Amino acid sequence: MTEAVTTKIQTSLAQQMAQPGGRTLSDVERRANERLGHHRAEVMAEIEAAVAGLEALCAARPEASAAEVYRLASRVVDLAGFFDTGPLFDAGYSLADVADRMTSADAWDWPPVQVHVQALRLILNAGCERDAATDQLLTGLKAVAMKARA
Amino acid sequence: MADDRINLEQSTVLLVDDTPQALDMLGSIFQGFGVKEQIKRPSAVEAVKVLQKRPVDLIVIDCGDPEMDGYAFTRWLRRETPAPMRYTPVILVTGHASQSKVQEGRDCGVSFVITKPLTPAVLLKRILWLARDEREFVECETYVGPDRRVRNFGPPVGMAGRRKGDLSAHIGHAVEENMDQADIDMLLKPQRVTL
Repeated sequence: MTEAVTTKIQTSLAQQMAQPGGRTLSDVERRANERLGHHRAEVMAEIEAAVAGLEALCAARPEASAAEVYRLASRVVDLAGFFDTGPLFDAGYSLADVADRMTSADAWDWPPVQVHVQALRLILNAGCERDAATDQLLTGLKAVAMKARA
Repeated sequence: MADDRINLEQSTVLLVDDTPQALDMLGSIFQGFGVKEQIKRPSAVEAVKVLQKRPVDLIVIDCGDPEMDGYAFTRWLRRETPAPMRYTPVILVTGHASQSKVQEGRDCGVSFVITKPLTPAVLLKRILWLARDEREFVECETYVGPDRRVRNFGPPVGMAGRRKGDLSAHIGHAVEENMDQADIDMLLKPQRVTL
């Protein structure tokens, strides 16, 4: 077993941030949120396309499509994760997790995927608002995911 | 550094994301943060080419490319580049971390893993934390990166320490004579101090 060598460092980032000046945290956060907001419409269209892709896969159920389901679910998560899309992010994450675990266990099953994709469509159509109905939907997805992992 | 301010006016940030829209959004966030310069690349391989030519002050990466993902990129940075480049802070952003990647995230040497949802507020907090990061940089056969012990309670229970400063878990025989009771009493006895 080798001995670990430890070094005390100060990064250039830390040195630069220690300089006086800059902006207030509330100011930079506001500016960043404003700029991020400009992407929302384009990103929601991309998410819509990914969900449509998942629906097409569920309808055709082609062989060896687990990786594609995971890729599209991850795409929903990656893009939705920049905004407050509440239940959409959670449902996308749950689908990615289910697809990953079923692939790892070599136990692919379409019904859990189908249920998740239907939930994603319902949430999208409802404008990604979190309410009692979407809470119930997510609780249902949790149960489906638990069963798929078992 | 004032607690309510952030100064990135001198900082260059390397942003790497294999989803073009996500890369644009990261760019917008850092534009809002007021960085001096941002370099955007669509893959870790492209990011390597950048670092072979010039240093940067912070790297934010979200990349699942099988050729080189964010974990492999960080390992390359920590092990294959010279100091001080190898110390560059790396924030690894992840949407869904697959089962096989969870441990890799811990062991590849990143400064932080941020799981989405990623808001500007979360990213700001992490950058501020990095600016005050006093963790030492650890280099050994199995790990190169910032100390993973955020709180240093010594080596894990039952394991021998591998660092010079680690105390031995074994309590051996006394190496000096026991103190006389009178000496102990003297240590505890309150005495008036003349200034």
